[in-house]
Amino acid sequence: MPVISPNAFAPPAANDTAGLVAADLRERVRRLERAHSVQRVGQTAVPVGVPAIDALLSEGGLLSGAVHEIEAGSTPSGRVAPHDGAALGFAAHLLGRFAAIKPGSTLLWCRRPFGTFDAPPYAPALAAWFDPARLLLVSVRRDEDLFWAMEEGLRCPGMAAVLCETRAADATAGRRLSLAAEKSGVPALLLRTQPAPVQSICTTRWRVASAASHSTPGLKDVGRARWRLELRRNRFGMPSVAEIPTWIVEWNDETHCLSVVPQAHHGSTGADHVARALESRLVG
Amino acid sequence: MRLADARALVPDLIPAPGEPQSDRRLIETIASWCDRYTPWVAIDPLGGALAEEGAEACSAGGFGGDAGLLLDATGCTHLFGPDEAGERALLADLTQRLSRLDFTCRVAMADTAGAAWALARYAERQADLFCPQRGHRAALANLPVEGLRLDTPILETFLKLGLRRIGDLYNMPRAPLVRRFGEQPVKRLDQALGALDEPLEPRRLPPAFRTRLAFAEPIGRPEDIAAATSRLLAALCRQLEQAGVGARSLEIALYRVDGAVDRTSIGTSRPNRDNPRLMKLFEERLGELDPGFGVELMILAAPEVEAFSGTQDTLPDSGVLPASLSEDGTIDLADRLALRLGAENVVRLLPRDSHLPERVQTTGPAAEPAADNSWQRLAAFKGPRPTRLLQRPEPINVMAPVPDDPPRHFQWRQHTHRIVRAEGPERLADEWWRPRPDGSRPPANTTPPYRDYYRVEDDDGGRFWLFRDGPYALAANGQPTARWFLHGFCA
Repeated sequence: MPVISPNAFAPPAANDTAGLVAADLRERVRRLERAHSVQRVGQTAVPVGVPAIDALLSEGGLLSGAVHEIEAGSTPSGRVAPHDGAALGFAAHLLGRFAAIKPGSTLLWCRRPFGTFDAPPYAPALAAWFDPARLLLVSVRRDEDLFWAMEEGLRCPGMAAVLCETRAADATAGRRLSLAAEKSGVPALLLRTQPAPVQSICTTRWRVASAASHSTPGLKDVGRARWRLELRRNRFGMPSVAEIPTWIVEWNDETHCLSVVPQAHHGSTGADHVARALESRLVG
Repeated sequence: MRLADARALVPDLIPAPGEPQSDRRLIETIASWCDRYTPWVAIDPLGGALAEEGAEACSAGGFGGDAGLLLDATGCTHLFGPDEAGERALLADLTQRLSRLDFTCRVAMADTAGAAWALARYAERQADLFCPQRGHRAALANLPVEGLRLDTPILETFLKLGLRRIGDLYNMPRAPLVRRFGEQPVKRLDQALGALDEPLEPRRLPPAFRTRLAFAEPIGRPEDIAAATSRLLAALCRQLEQAGVGARSLEIALYRVDGAVDRTSIGTSRPNRDNPRLMKLFEERLGELDPGFGVELMILAAPEVEAFSGTQDTLPDSGVLPASLSEDGTIDLADRLALRLGAENVVRLLPRDSHLPERVQTTGPAAEPAADNSWQRLAAFKGPRPTRLLQRPEPINVMAPVPDDPPRHFQWRQHTHRIVRAEGPERLADEWWRPRPDGSRPPANTTPPYRDYYRVEDDDGGRFWLFRDGPYALAANGQPTARWFLHGFCA
């Protein structure tokens, strides 16, 4: 008859080492995943500036030397948003974060204007995130030129980040961008006005939609900009409880920082929405 | 001579209509081919068939009809040999190459353009075509007076008077000549003898700096051309360095064995004489060049140069050029992008002191960014601004309470947005101190036109920047006259 020693129920003596081993193994798996590129060694991770979000990202931030996609999401009512003001705001915030760690560097912004309906980025508003004097704005006529200009920008050592507004999703071009970014350590941001196909190569993909802001109590003024932020892809990152981690974040244009709005207050739930719609109908 | 007479003389004559345009193009081609000898090539302005309408023309007659090229070879003959031997070698080379391309030509060289013109057309012996230094007076004396490039009436009178040789005019008293024939004969004589300067008007502005590389065997492979370009660049950069200047644009010309010339050029956004950087720019362009059956000569020229003191450090507060820009490769990047996309497509955003949103943001050259923090200072004075501004405000249909309230709904691109929150108005008036785009001045003593801007948020959380153009008012039919526009999208 086997004797059950009390030791069997006690926590194993080597508990600490097991934990260490597990952490070590996890670390090794992560390194293996990234082993295809030797150049990653010199890369830094730039925090987004929101602890809750940074905790999920690998190394606690967005990797420089990687491709990050930001796409405009649909509105709460399910309609495709007519513009990407929110996505642009978040992209500008990331540009500002990347620019801040590399003083004196340049930001490259590539875009393809489309005629009289064109709405180019407007520097007086972008000044909240970074100094627009550092921006080099490139307009192209063809998508090939767009990716070519981006690659050239990624090879330039004095570049803090390269952003490209595009609707095109070219897998080969995406792969080339990702390799160029890995080699130089310059981050590439793709800003899409429409949701992108899933198979594109990027390290993180964000979907940003504008969310209802919070007025001053008693007034109906436009509050601070709020965005509904979804992290749709998070390569090398930490696993999260939610399938798609989603936050409502608020940009404070006085303190210049981004913060997560507690769920009880963000007021984007359907019921709240209906209530407000009713209220405005009653008032109107 | 009429065609019938010509047919009578030569029964199997093949007539072909004249094509002055094609002739002109051919002469242009030969002229640009002649750039290989000297940058200073002019098409003879007196060539009757080629002269422009109303220009002073004379039917030259003599050998080869009236088309001609004038080359100023001063300082270029040393490439072919020392002193007179070089000059003779250049002449021989030019004649030989042109005949190889199936052109019949007569090439003369003399101290003045006028003398060379006369010799090329009226010299009787081949040996007379080369006129040694200061020998033109003697050489011209025996030539017919037609060699003076005179108008036909004057020429006919000269012949009637028995003045058949140019030498006959040498000892004539000048005052009666001028009185009888006007300025022209004396002027032409002086020009031919060098007493009067006769500047040539070059077809292309001769560059101050150029290098050339001739090949014993024609080359055609792209890598050979690239290697040759790099050698030429090295030589040119040395020239630029000695002169203390940097190139703003460079042009490379490929002289092909079939007589064609292919050119391409690059531009830089600031003076440059850095061999590897310029070579990188050329690499973009060399692919466009067509070496054809082979290239026998390449010329690299710097048509535009600017003073450039080299890589000198500037003081941190000098404000003009942040030295880091050129060091970290941003300027090179801008040059490369501008080369392919056009310089107007690679720009910096510059702030402008203005109240009107569409005037605040302007663009400037990539090499000259705005001063640090100038944007932040500007943004601090303004109200909330959109992250994207429409190039042209888009008209929207609006339901708004009167007179100054923000709208309740607006309809844009067939979708109605219900407005939940709104801010405003921010009133921006026309800048009366500035002339209108059509040049007129705004009328004085009246309220300038203004716009009322509102920042609104719709029930989907979308934030927009709208404005009402002018004050609210009712037209005769009871419809509000003020129009509303969407001007931008906020973050």
